[in-house]
Amino acid sequence: MSSGIVSAAYIGAAVLFILSLGGLSNQESAKRAVWYGILGMAIAVFVTIFGPGVYNIFLILAAVLAGSYAGYFISGKVQMTEMPQLVAALHSFVGLAAVFIGLNAEMMLNSIITLRDSGLPMNSSELTGFGEKLWQKDYIEIGILKAEVFLGIFIGAITFTGSIVAFGKLAGKLDGSPKKLKGGHYLNAISLFACLILGWMYLNGAGIWSMVIVTIISGFIGWHLIMGIGGADMPVVVSMLNSYSGWAAAAIGFTLGNDLLIVTGALVGSSGAILSYIMCKAMNRSFISVILGGFGENTGPQMVVDGEQISIDIDGVASALNDANSVVIIPGYGMAVAQAQQSVSALVGKLRDKNIKVRFAIHPVAGRLPGHMNVLLAEAKVPYDIVLEMDEINEDFSNTDVVIVIGSNDIVNPAAQDDPNSPIAGMPVLECWKARQVFVSKRGQGTGYSGIENPLFYKENTRMLYGDAKVSIDALLPKIE
Amino acid sequence: MKVGAPKEVHLGERRVAITPSSAVQMQKLGHECIIESDAGLAAGFSDEAYKEAGVKVLKSAAALWKASDIVIKVRDPIKAEQKFFRDNQTLISFFNPADNEELLKLAAKKGINVIAMEMVPRISRAQKMDALSSMANIAGYRAIIEAGNNFGRFFTGQITAAGKIPPAKVLVVGAGVAGLAAIGTATSLGAIVRAFDVRPEVAEQIESLGAEFLFLDFDDNQGGAETGGYASPSSPEFRDKQLSLFLKQASDIDIVITTALIPNHEAPELWTKEMVERMKPGSVIIDLAAEKGGNCKLTVPDERIVTENGIIIVGYTDFPSRMANQASTLYSTNIRHMISDLTPNKDGVIIHDMEDDVLRGATVTYNKKITYPPPAPKIAAIATPKTNKSTKPLSRAEEKSLSDKAFKTATKLQIGLLCVGGLLMLGVGSVAPESFMQHFIVFVLACFIGFQVIWKVSHALHTPLMAVTNAISGIVILGALLQVGSSNFLVLLLSTISILIASINIVGGFLVTRRMLAMFQKS
Repeated sequence: MSSGIVSAAYIGAAVLFILSLGGLSNQESAKRAVWYGILGMAIAVFVTIFGPGVYNIFLILAAVLAGSYAGYFISGKVQMTEMPQLVAALHSFVGLAAVFIGLNAEMMLNSIITLRDSGLPMNSSELTGFGEKLWQKDYIEIGILKAEVFLGIFIGAITFTGSIVAFGKLAGKLDGSPKKLKGGHYLNAISLFACLILGWMYLNGAGIWSMVIVTIISGFIGWHLIMGIGGADMPVVVSMLNSYSGWAAAAIGFTLGNDLLIVTGALVGSSGAILSYIMCKAMNRSFISVILGGFGENTGPQMVVDGEQISIDIDGVASALNDANSVVIIPGYGMAVAQAQQSVSALVGKLRDKNIKVRFAIHPVAGRLPGHMNVLLAEAKVPYDIVLEMDEINEDFSNTDVVIVIGSNDIVNPAAQDDPNSPIAGMPVLECWKARQVFVSKRGQGTGYSGIENPLFYKENTRMLYGDAKVSIDALLPKIE
Repeated sequence: MKVGAPKEVHLGERRVAITPSSAVQMQKLGHECIIESDAGLAAGFSDEAYKEAGVKVLKSAAALWKASDIVIKVRDPIKAEQKFFRDNQTLISFFNPADNEELLKLAAKKGINVIAMEMVPRISRAQKMDALSSMANIAGYRAIIEAGNNFGRFFTGQITAAGKIPPAKVLVVGAGVAGLAAIGTATSLGAIVRAFDVRPEVAEQIESLGAEFLFLDFDDNQGGAETGGYASPSSPEFRDKQLSLFLKQASDIDIVITTALIPNHEAPELWTKEMVERMKPGSVIIDLAAEKGGNCKLTVPDERIVTENGIIIVGYTDFPSRMANQASTLYSTNIRHMISDLTPNKDGVIIHDMEDDVLRGATVTYNKKITYPPPAPKIAAIATPKTNKSTKPLSRAEEKSLSDKAFKTATKLQIGLLCVGGLLMLGVGSVAPESFMQHFIVFVLACFIGFQVIWKVSHALHTPLMAVTNAISGIVILGALLQVGSSNFLVLLLSTISILIASINIVGGFLVTRRMLAMFQKS
């Protein structure tokens, strides 16, 4: 296959990728969009393998087949509630691959320069596609190439370790609370500075050892950075890592002079960046404060909540639901933890059969992944047109009879509006307390992730339904008639 | 104190303000009860029954008025009764203060404290004394019974060996208490019921009783909440639409119950002559607003008439009185609750607390002064529906200036960004070789497209977006593919591993996205 055909195929693949992302603008076209992506990827990989300058086809096929089988196996087995950790784990692969490819580039650069300097003509040795490009580079271009290698390795390593930590936290294998080594962000700053110095040395002729050290140090930065961010900020972290994996791919694209890699990397990078921005906005916090971990400094004492949490039993909830005309359900991470989405869906089905208007209110940062709740509800076959965003439903709460809060806490905390000293002050929240009656399904009396007391639980129209969300809702089901 | 109920002297009035059972309750509050002889006879309560309940029976009205500290009545007092008014007496009765200025003046002059039952404010606490609602409930029920009496067919549809009978179609105009009672009665008799009200928020109540709400598509639908749950006059445009809706219904409907009353206004004309003419012969109109002029102008108050085309129009104004026993039971209970609020210590001593919202609202004369109309109650009757002030439509000019402003700032921002971006490009271009610049252009354009495309992704699809971008970031596999031919073993190893894990990424990412997207479904 000539390089012209390869380029043409790359253009096609790039267009398909753009269509694929654009198609996600609504649920119906999204089903088509994923096939564009698959097709684009298939074209890109196929023409590259059978294009010029690629050898060891059998090794490649073996690796591709093994990897594909593993991917197929994982994607079939994963539970929808485990989606956040899966996405994080997959990000780490991209990061690691970027690091390897960067290191390879440096090694090949060395060997080819030696080869070229020995005075042999180019076609005398069997060069790979990348090797040919290297052969033709002049002095300045090699300098730029080295800078690109450095960037690719640096971002790739941060993505790799950061994603592993995020995976650990999301999967519950690591403690979700923020942890920092002594020195905190100064340690990160020093590490970053060290990387820059090593990068400079590398540009000025230092050997591959400098890049290996950069890998290790930036790996440490990624680990330390994400360790310092708590579980509730994970939607931002995951989308940030998504963005990084894109930039790493783009940097590799520059190194290799491959436009398709650059285009795709840039698409992914900007996508992750926008998602992070949306998530931060939903929490009314700046990106920097999320990345630096923990909540901002408080300016004064928090409002003291008085009153008591009044509990209610299943029968009470059932009779209120039986009498209601409109019901809004606010799911949160607790629903995912309890795997309650199927039970919730069954409840919704029963209520809808009774001609009760049921809707879901989804806060942008509910769950641990952007759009996490939507996916869980979709899995449980909840029709997406009754699943509404915060802005669409916030005004309707005053006309709602019953609100059921399932495992969410900070996103329904009225302190965000009432208490200027609250750590979450100013964060847009679902104003469910305006409804006639609010039921909160919760495991115990503890505070949510952020450790903030929630005045909602003490409100006059709030009743607490203690217990595992799935068990509670399953018990509720037979009582709805 | 002595609570006395005279015999109603109003022509045809059968109700009585006290029943034996309400008398027992009032005695528990420390009051003594008296009644004029035969006062309860028309409502089915004999003097003996009252005596058994411990009520003293007096022979004449004059004696009763003289003996009573509190006089309880149904209708507003007529001339003959007015002369019995005396200082420091309390009268609890319907009083019609809006149209009875002279009577008010007289009562104030004579020093009688009058509590008008129709003035009880519509707040939850006062529901137990809301005599208007209890009477309206009866009127609504009785209106259907009266309609059935005049209508020559069944309410319910039947298929019998002798043929098929279509169900009666009933239209109820105005879904206040009377309207809702009529709807409930008619549906339980098996009729097909449609109902209309100017307040769209009652649609739910109408539907809950099994009737169909005739929806009028009009922006300026009025909420009844700010007028204490009562309707207020409509705009002419609204009225036109409403009349054309009724006109369409007229030929289809067998029975019309109109209950539209606006406090202190003449009843609005809702059922025009044209509509009456369109109705089928034998159809029945029950006009519950007859007393205030009628919702149908053909209505003759207190009479049943038949029009030329055979439509029966019933204009009785005494529906509650036609069910005197039931009406008296309910009314006496309302009165009893009022008296119980007046005697908070249950010791037979009246404390007329003018600070109390309910008592203040219902009292029309007190201490020789007219206290009608009352000030607005402190508690709003019904939660007012939230109207969002910010969505109040801006005038065109304001809107334009706002959008102009937004446009200008957006333009400034974009031009600024373009300038900065352009300068950066120039800076890079001045040092970097051409081969790099080619790729750099591609990179910048791709970022740009990415930003444009991703903003449009719907919120619900953010997780699939992450999964699909994750899958396509597996494109790094191309880098590894281009390196795997190297003769260096280490390079070979690393690139093989890269191919392996990138493949996991690609396949895993796409399949999981597909799985997620397949789950999204419309209801």
